[in-house]
Amino acid sequence: MLGALADPKRRRAIELLGERPRSAGELAGALGLAPPAMSRHLRTLKQGGLVEDGHPAFDARVRIYRLKDGATAELKQWLAETEALWSHQLASFKAHVEGGP
Amino acid sequence: MSGAAVIVALRVAATPDAAFTVFTRDIGTWWRSHPLFQLSRRGDGALRFDPAGPGGRLVTRFDDGEEWEIGAVRHWLPGERLAFAWRLPSFRDDQTTEVDVRFEAVGGETRVTVEHRGWETIPQKHVARHGFELMLFQRRLGEFWRGLLKGMSGVV
Repeated sequence: MLGALADPKRRRAIELLGERPRSAGELAGALGLAPPAMSRHLRTLKQGGLVEDGHPAFDARVRIYRLKDGATAELKQWLAETEALWSHQLASFKAHVEGGP
Repeated sequence: MSGAAVIVALRVAATPDAAFTVFTRDIGTWWRSHPLFQLSRRGDGALRFDPAGPGGRLVTRFDDGEEWEIGAVRHWLPGERLAFAWRLPSFRDDQTTEVDVRFEAVGGETRVTVEHRGWETIPQKHVARHGFELMLFQRRLGEFWRGLLKGMSGVV
């Protein structure tokens, strides 16, 4: 289910939704995606349990996407820390393999 | 298994065979503890593949003499691929992840790609909404390291 986060556009969408809820059109514009591609990404994020959609009280025709409460924080912290860990270790490995005998 | 993974790659000036050998044989030397990303509260310890080769395990030995098995080797293909399980002391019983390291010749160099998978086992309960801010901070740290790596690659 967390393959949802494997794609950089989807990660960016998660960031944007972390700021505030947005419509699909707004997200597509911010990410430079065509509406069908945006729909696919949002479907993936929904299936992954990361975002949910709903209608604002003032207009039932508008669909708004928002982050699901607490859905991703721990996971994403994990991902970020692990990425930083391996970046650090690979840089160290590079220095060793290129500098050592 | 979902496709969720951390992927980090860089090039090193060595053949795939040499890179594989140094990666496995010298992991206790090149692995450096980082204050923000320690493997345990006691630091990282001294890592080694024991025994080195298929059927081995990645083990770390802490200063007090205690050893921790990080995980069993799943693939050991010199010059090509190294995969092993990854479990830290802080993991809960139901958590396990997997590290897959690829060595590919690129010109006279080798691209080393680390893929760390298995994040779906990380529980997602008990997380307050404010945790998201922390997460963004952590992501920026990741980007900081990625930038540092790029800078280093340019030097060599």
